[in-house]
Amino acid sequence: MGIEEKLPSGVLLTTVERLVNWSRKSSTWGATFGLACCAIEMMAAGAPHYDLGRWGMEVFRASPRQADLMIVAGRVSQKMAPVLRQIYDQMSEPKWVLSMGVCASSGGMFNNYAIVQGVDHVVPVDMYLPGCPPRPEMLIDAILKLREKILYQPLGAGGRRMLEARAAAGKLPAVAPGAMPSSYRSDKAKRVEWEQAVKEGREEQLRIEKWMEAQRHLQGGGRW
Amino acid sequence: MGAVTDSVKGFGVTFSHLFRKVVTTDYPFEQPKTAPRYHGRHILNRHPDGLEKCIGCELCAWACPADAIYVQGGDNTDEQRFSPGERYASVYQINYARCIFCGLCIEACPTRSLTMSNEYELARDNRRDLIFTKEQLLAPLLPGMEHPPHPMRLGDSEKDYYVGALTNPGTSAGAERAPWSQQHTADGSGSAGELS
Amino acid sequence: MADVVKAGSNGVETVTLTIDGVEVTAPKGALLIRVAEQLGIEIPRFCDHPLLAPAGACRQCLVEVEGQRKPVASCTQTVADGMVVKTQLTSPVAKKAQAGIMELLLINHPLDCPMCDKGGECPLQNQAMSTGRTDTRFHDHKREYPKPVAISTQVLLDRERCVLCQRCTRFSDEIAGDRFIDLMDRSAAEQIGVYRDDAFSGDHPRSAIDEPGYEQETAEPGDEPFNSYFSGNTVQICPVGALTGTQYRFRARPFDLVSSPSVCEHCSAGCAQRTDHRRGKVMRRLAGDDPAVNEEWNCDKGRWGFRYATASDRITNPMVRREDGELHEASWSEALEMAAEGLRNARDGAYGVGVLTGGRLTVEDAYAYAKFARVALRTNDIDFRARPLSNEEADFLGSTVVGGTDVTYADVDAASAAVVVGLEPEEECPILFLRLRKAYRKGGFAVTAVAPFLSRGFTKLDAALVEAVPGGEADLLRDDPRVAETLRAPGALLIVGERLATVPGGLSAAAELAARTGAKLAWVPRRAGDRGAVDAGCLPNLLPGGRPVIEATARAELAGIWDLEAGIIPSRPGRSTDQMVADAAVGRLGALVVAGVDPADLADPRLAEQALDNVGFLVSLEVRRSAVSRRADVVFPVAPVVEKAGSFVDWEGRLRTFDRVLTTTAMTDARVLDAIAAQLGVALGTGDVNAVRRELGGLPATRADRIEPPRVSGIGAARPGDGEAVLATWHHLIDLSRLLEGDEYLAGTARVPVVRLGKVLAERLGVAEGDPVTVGTERGALTLPAAITELPDGVVWVPTNSPGATVRRTLGVTAGAVVKVSAGAPAGPILASGGSR
Repeated sequence: MGIEEKLPSGVLLTTVERLVNWSRKSSTWGATFGLACCAIEMMAAGAPHYDLGRWGMEVFRASPRQADLMIVAGRVSQKMAPVLRQIYDQMSEPKWVLSMGVCASSGGMFNNYAIVQGVDHVVPVDMYLPGCPPRPEMLIDAILKLREKILYQPLGAGGRRMLEARAAAGKLPAVAPGAMPSSYRSDKAKRVEWEQAVKEGREEQLRIEKWMEAQRHLQGGGRW
Repeated sequence: MGAVTDSVKGFGVTFSHLFRKVVTTDYPFEQPKTAPRYHGRHILNRHPDGLEKCIGCELCAWACPADAIYVQGGDNTDEQRFSPGERYASVYQINYARCIFCGLCIEACPTRSLTMSNEYELARDNRRDLIFTKEQLLAPLLPGMEHPPHPMRLGDSEKDYYVGALTNPGTSAGAERAPWSQQHTADGSGSAGELS
Repeated sequence: MADVVKAGSNGVETVTLTIDGVEVTAPKGALLIRVAEQLGIEIPRFCDHPLLAPAGACRQCLVEVEGQRKPVASCTQTVADGMVVKTQLTSPVAKKAQAGIMELLLINHPLDCPMCDKGGECPLQNQAMSTGRTDTRFHDHKREYPKPVAISTQVLLDRERCVLCQRCTRFSDEIAGDRFIDLMDRSAAEQIGVYRDDAFSGDHPRSAIDEPGYEQETAEPGDEPFNSYFSGNTVQICPVGALTGTQYRFRARPFDLVSSPSVCEHCSAGCAQRTDHRRGKVMRRLAGDDPAVNEEWNCDKGRWGFRYATASDRITNPMVRREDGELHEASWSEALEMAAEGLRNARDGAYGVGVLTGGRLTVEDAYAYAKFARVALRTNDIDFRARPLSNEEADFLGSTVVGGTDVTYADVDAASAAVVVGLEPEEECPILFLRLRKAYRKGGFAVTAVAPFLSRGFTKLDAALVEAVPGGEADLLRDDPRVAETLRAPGALLIVGERLATVPGGLSAAAELAARTGAKLAWVPRRAGDRGAVDAGCLPNLLPGGRPVIEATARAELAGIWDLEAGIIPSRPGRSTDQMVADAAVGRLGALVVAGVDPADLADPRLAEQALDNVGFLVSLEVRRSAVSRRADVVFPVAPVVEKAGSFVDWEGRLRTFDRVLTTTAMTDARVLDAIAAQLGVALGTGDVNAVRRELGGLPATRADRIEPPRVSGIGAARPGDGEAVLATWHHLIDLSRLLEGDEYLAGTARVPVVRLGKVLAERLGVAEGDPVTVGTERGALTLPAAITELPDGVVWVPTNSPGATVRRTLGVTAGAVVKVSAGAPAGPILASGGSR
């Protein structure tokens, strides 16, 4: 941006920051980086059934200059790593990386010499998405989480320190941005429950409880 | 046929879609139903009294093709009992940055301790949070369950836990004692009610 | 036709038989199962073990032999001429018989493989998978026992899993000679168990464990625990999970472990080992298979004593003493600079620098110290002996031991007789003990012990005793006709321990006796690095390769190899450990470089600590914080054995090379010395273990004359006065050693420290078995329960370094000294606090 470097951090910028972040997160165009099976799911997520257009993301750009979010979908081989880095370097700031699937996140089941053991060896990753491959909902969930993170990202050079200071001052949501599952965040009642569970440190248990409640076959005492 | 009719016809197809049902799902506002056996996030189940079903045998770790599971066994003592029998898992971790949700661990589990839920919203912004520890994986304590360590409540030996366990619900998840399951256990199958 | 043995070769009588249609010639008397194995036909088995006598207990190896009515067990059947054998590969009868046995074995075997430690490496599991039925026809309750039973603090017994193959009982009986476990009860209730007092109405039949000093706290009152020094081997050879080790219990799975070959660092036996580790942590160690050295066995100390390397007091960063007088962590460059400066000042000062290396170093590291002392410090003040010693010993080592004594384990196997002096094989070199026992069991082998009494180990060897009062061994070796007579037999061995160094004239007499009788002489030290340090030149009178310091040729040879100017290596022998300690205590030593030495092991620990306090500058290279590193000016962390490559030289002189097991950033002693030397402006060239090996391998044999054997005459044993006795002492295998810290299960099987005294002395003092007896000197006293043993009058025995019996620290004396003996605990303040360090 430019303006945030020149102005003192604090009062004035909070609303500007919200506005900037809102506009940034609202239309993150993806740079396709489909490398393997995950890319099929990524394409499905862009197609009408899941329709990433609902978040202004229907355009996947092959040209890195026009892209904000690189979705690394699939295992990154050692040979692909420099290419990937080059594409990343060519993207204009601000830019984010989403590592889709376990192969991109950590090498997955390909723990061998040919595969980069996690794309974060090559580029900084903002969101890791497990799954092999993740279903389109998981990708959408990851994107929504990333959008939430972007929304709370302080502007300026000392962003990380500022974020820490805000966290210390209690100005951030109880649940760290990007930690709450999207289905909980989008439902007000569930969101409250989740926030309460995080305070008690039992959010994962809550998730299982909710899931069990929703499962008819569990309610029937063993019968489908 | 003229060009006009053709384009009317063509637009007609487009126009007719305006009145069809929208195919786009409404996730995340409405969560789609997965297949019942969809391979999602794991659960470490509990016995009806709250003891862990996991015996720390590491067979899941052995079966895992991605080497995503780390287990270390520990010795149960009478004072510190986490599972029936001699052995329990003192450390249990699943690395979701590696897990491919193939379910081989579930097949390998000899006590049906490890099962899978249909939960899939697992993305995190760092790799450490993707390593789920035993505390996160363990099923919640349902009414009637007691937080381990505690002595065996269902009998004197681990046998009392395993014999008859097959009549428990298929994907157990600790649901044997779930309150909503009791209302539906018309034929009395399962261990629900045994404790009360 | 396949030949398992070349017909007629070496005069071996052979027979020809047919196995699975293949005609084979085999040595007469060979077991069928082995001949088949050599043909490549594997017959399943559980009880059979090549080093144990045949038992035929499990019946899994049934094969069909033509002419026999029923299938026979191939592990007990010897081959015969014209025999026609069909194994499971060709005979449906054998196959059915084996399947039947498998089904019967599995009837009572619990289905707890998921939690069994053996799961994944279990012969029963494997064979059940390959030949067993897929489902059981047995629908009754399986046999159940309470489990597990702790038959000692380190071995657990699961009787349900046992298939009664008797490998463990046969090992204990045949190999170790410790019949602590046996088959109990009859028929379906038959099980392995430890002896119980009540089973024999409080009066069990064996004498060995009745002996005072060997009884233990028991798992259940009345049980005799399985306190053999070799009990770990039964865990290893158990073909099911019936015997498991407490330390490894539930720790890991075999398929998750990485196995690396290694060599045991505890004693001079040089056992091959297998170290199993996962995620950078050693999980267990097993005996390796080396027929020339340890066969397939090791002792419990080697198997379970490895936790010291991961203790919390491990040093990870260099430390230097700053102006405030405290040790602070420092960077490597600062520590190296400071060490070099201190050493340079001391070297160029009046009193010079001394080097104490201790007996725990690999040959490569020992060589680095020897070279560092000569080249960088320009001194011969280097000594590896961290124990009571004598100058006579240094001469003995230089004349007789260095470059190789010619006794090997194979010689022990083949020997007709052995005289053992100053050595307690079971406590000080357990694998040598197993070999002696193997030779004894084979027959035609007699052991003569020159010792104050027949210990349990010697009893198991059925040794003849030449009763020696400590200090009087030299006279006995010179004059006793029984000893000389025994040694004159062809193939006789004279085995001397390092403890003989404390007897004036002892080693002189031994060397002379061996020369006179033609017996082969072996010197058995206690620590793994001792023998290698002799060869590497960590002695004041010896340069590397057995070159005597006083020989100009020897010095010139080394100066050539090391590319030095003449005169850098001093021509006079240096100071021994004792002299260095004495000089340092009065401030007449400029600096000391100390490797793995515990001052408590030295002849006078108090003086040693004073020396460490008073020495001008102290550099310590240590794995863990110790009494030395606490006093040091500069401390360098070095790698424990598991984290470095190197070699030990066992007592035979055999090189036992091993590779690094765990890859860490820890450095070897040699590499640290190389860095210090670089600061001193000297290129030591020991930075890399392979470079050291090349250099050591390239050392030519010396042309210089050997040191003359020592000619020290004995002074005889001391004569105790009234209320006094001569002290006899040696180390227990499991004691307060620094290398055993943190292994609490192992410590539970240590022998109980007692004072042993003869009947006459006991009567004079009025003490009965188990009464407290106090042994004291002016410095201190220790009180232990009495054990009345057949000892010469006027001799008492206490363990050297066991809980409550720290002889050197508390009493300030060692074997051969006169001590005061009295009944009861001492009046007034108790000076010795048992076991505290």
